[in-house]
Amino acid sequence: MKGESVLNRKFALTMVALLTVAIAACSEQLDAGKSCPLLCPEQEINLVDTVLDAVASDTTVLGIPPIGSETFLMLSSHGDTVQTRAIIRFDTLQGNFTAGNGADSLISHIDTAQIVLPIDKPDSLHRPKVPITIEAYNVDTTASDTAVAALAPLFRPSRLLGAKTFAPESLLDTLRIPISTDSVKDRITNGTHLRVGLRLVSAQGYDVRIGTSLNGNPGTLRLKVSTDTAVHPLVIQPLSNTPPNVPFIAGPLRDYTIVLQGNTTTPASRLAVGGLPSRRTLFRFNIPPRIVDSTTIVRATLILTQLPNRGVNPRDSVWVFPVAILASPVVNDAGTVLRFVSGGGFLGLDSLRLAPGDSGQRAFQIVGLVRTWHNTTEEVSPNAIGMLSGSEAQLPAEIDFFSMEAPAAVRPKLRITYVPQVNIGLPK
Amino acid sequence: MTRSISAGLAFGLAATLASVASGQAALSTQGFGFPTGQLSSRAWGTGGSIAEIDPLSPVNPATISMIGTRLINFQIEPEYRSVSSSGGIDRTTTARYPVVFGAIPIKSWVLGLGASTLLDRTSTTIFPSTEPINSSERVETTNRERVDGAMDDVRIAGAWIPTNWLRVGIGVHGIVGHNLIATTQSFTDSSQFATFTEERLFGFTGFAASAGVELVSKLFMGGVSYRQGGNVQMSSNDTVITKSKVPNHFGASLAYTGITNSSIAVRVAHDNWSALGPLGGPGFTAVNGWDSSVGADMAGPRMLGRTVFLRGGFRYRTLPFQADSNTVTEKSFTAGFGTTFANQRALADVALIHAIRTADVPVTERAWTISIGLSIRP
Repeated sequence: MKGESVLNRKFALTMVALLTVAIAACSEQLDAGKSCPLLCPEQEINLVDTVLDAVASDTTVLGIPPIGSETFLMLSSHGDTVQTRAIIRFDTLQGNFTAGNGADSLISHIDTAQIVLPIDKPDSLHRPKVPITIEAYNVDTTASDTAVAALAPLFRPSRLLGAKTFAPESLLDTLRIPISTDSVKDRITNGTHLRVGLRLVSAQGYDVRIGTSLNGNPGTLRLKVSTDTAVHPLVIQPLSNTPPNVPFIAGPLRDYTIVLQGNTTTPASRLAVGGLPSRRTLFRFNIPPRIVDSTTIVRATLILTQLPNRGVNPRDSVWVFPVAILASPVVNDAGTVLRFVSGGGFLGLDSLRLAPGDSGQRAFQIVGLVRTWHNTTEEVSPNAIGMLSGSEAQLPAEIDFFSMEAPAAVRPKLRITYVPQVNIGLPK
Repeated sequence: MTRSISAGLAFGLAATLASVASGQAALSTQGFGFPTGQLSSRAWGTGGSIAEIDPLSPVNPATISMIGTRLINFQIEPEYRSVSSSGGIDRTTTARYPVVFGAIPIKSWVLGLGASTLLDRTSTTIFPSTEPINSSERVETTNRERVDGAMDDVRIAGAWIPTNWLRVGIGVHGIVGHNLIATTQSFTDSSQFATFTEERLFGFTGFAASAGVELVSKLFMGGVSYRQGGNVQMSSNDTVITKSKVPNHFGASLAYTGITNSSIAVRVAHDNWSALGPLGGPGFTAVNGWDSSVGADMAGPRMLGRTVFLRGGFRYRTLPFQADSNTVTEKSFTAGFGTTFANQRALADVALIHAIRTADVPVTERAWTISIGLSIRP
């Protein structure tokens, strides 16, 4: 009996092993199709292509992003076409330093004062052809000091704090502008703030992109307050305290750009992105429910006709991004709506690299976004899309398109390719 | 194991039944899918010839009267298939769990509850195409059609033995299951196009009734069964799409049992699959089919202290769904063995099936299937 029991156990183990092997072999590999089309299911997916005048409204809004929200300060000088200024606020200046013996000491002397500007290093194609000069001005004022009208007159010789000229090949990654040590000392002594305005002077049009607090690499104030080499220079970060008690507004104003001269309007027959001041465009769509709700859209192309803008750097191309609107549908103001947008590439939204001076039809693929409008209402998801320049507020390049006000042939259009409802699954 | 647990186990296993098969890019999986045959591993070993006298094959309800004790049976059947055509060879591996079954004697009756796969449709077909968008533009696509699911036969059967030579049984069948169809069309140019995906779930609801007898003598054993199909409907999202009838089935086996512990058998069966025609789309047809087989189940050598049964058989049948309007036939050569273990509380059957499926199209399908059945007396 004992021998039989052992044999039974061995046999049981053999069967279990066989069963395990069989189950392990059951990992399916079902993909087939080489006998198609003879044995394959009948193809029932038909593509329908249509071009719709589905743009219900389009509008371009200037001044977006608002000052203080730039990822780079754009210091531009293009004669009387484009002129910008960069403002950096140092609203708190420390009055003491750590001496070489480790003791806390009051600042009684400033050996050197510099504005240190991290810049976007230009490639060989974008180096200036001639030397450029960056001038630093005292733009402290009791007036509304974000207003161009108040700030522009402050860039005058009597307020010059310092300047430096740079040879083209010296434009690497940091520019240092020496400024008046007396002026800085005076502000430290009196406990007032220092606000510096930067101006680019160049015989030929040029743009310098300077880092900002927003991108974590702002221009700073560097002070050498002692001749003792053991004393480290003070590096003062930008800080803004005004408007007072409104930190969410004051904070971004640590550094910002103002536009003294630029293309400050966009005609109704045009749409534009980028430019100076920077602008974005908002499209609202009205796609028939029989398409957006009752079919599967596989391609949606926003067709725009670009018209040439030969203002500044017409051959310098920039990326143009369609972006999703993230603002709640209760927000109706286009300017506000366009401030709450997705990043480029969200939902597979396709971008194009365009040169301002070019013209012709441009196709933006936006199917990923249009699909989200399936079976939703405007109250849930606005059928809208924003358009912006990837170099907005960083370069003066402005890309222009014809708007709905333009002749029919060049108006914005929406081309949709869709699959009508299909009756899949029934054997035939 | 209590009766209720046995029944619960059977229902639970029935719900997970039947995952199958290659794509519709195969001769055997056209239409609503492949008819696995509702055969036990033991019956498979004989080519299906003993199906009408085999208690583990859920075709003849009378046969469960032979089960003298509580019993649970489970079966797995992986299939390795190759489909040859001018486009090349598709090799697929399919997992099947075609039969689960439990029985329990109650007084002079034996009651059985089981589920078996009637038609397996699970498949994946991938093929390229070029689609016109408009008069001047065409786009390259890759189409993928995946079908998951099967039409299953859940049977409650009762059988008893009125006399020594006669066994009688009846069964009530619920035809259930689903087909989940997922169609995907992806585009080579993914920068412009987004993938099209559509899913649709079809559910089957139907019923049938069956009856069978088994006749026993010293030298012969015969079994005859008939299933009368009732209505069956296919619905999607609570909407009835199509209606038709469950196919009627007739089968008869005759076995010579003059050799101790052995049987040599023939079987013939007929299914009027054409009843399922209205269940498909317009123009869909199914064809009635005969299923003939011959085989033997012989007591072989004693190994490890137990008798090992050796089996062999041949089967020829018509499959229900045509390929490119041509009827598909299947020839199967089978071999197998079976024995008991664990003090005869467990019964194991293994069958190896080589099937050749052909139609009047330039495609040939060959398949190797391993059927493993395990029966336990708890």
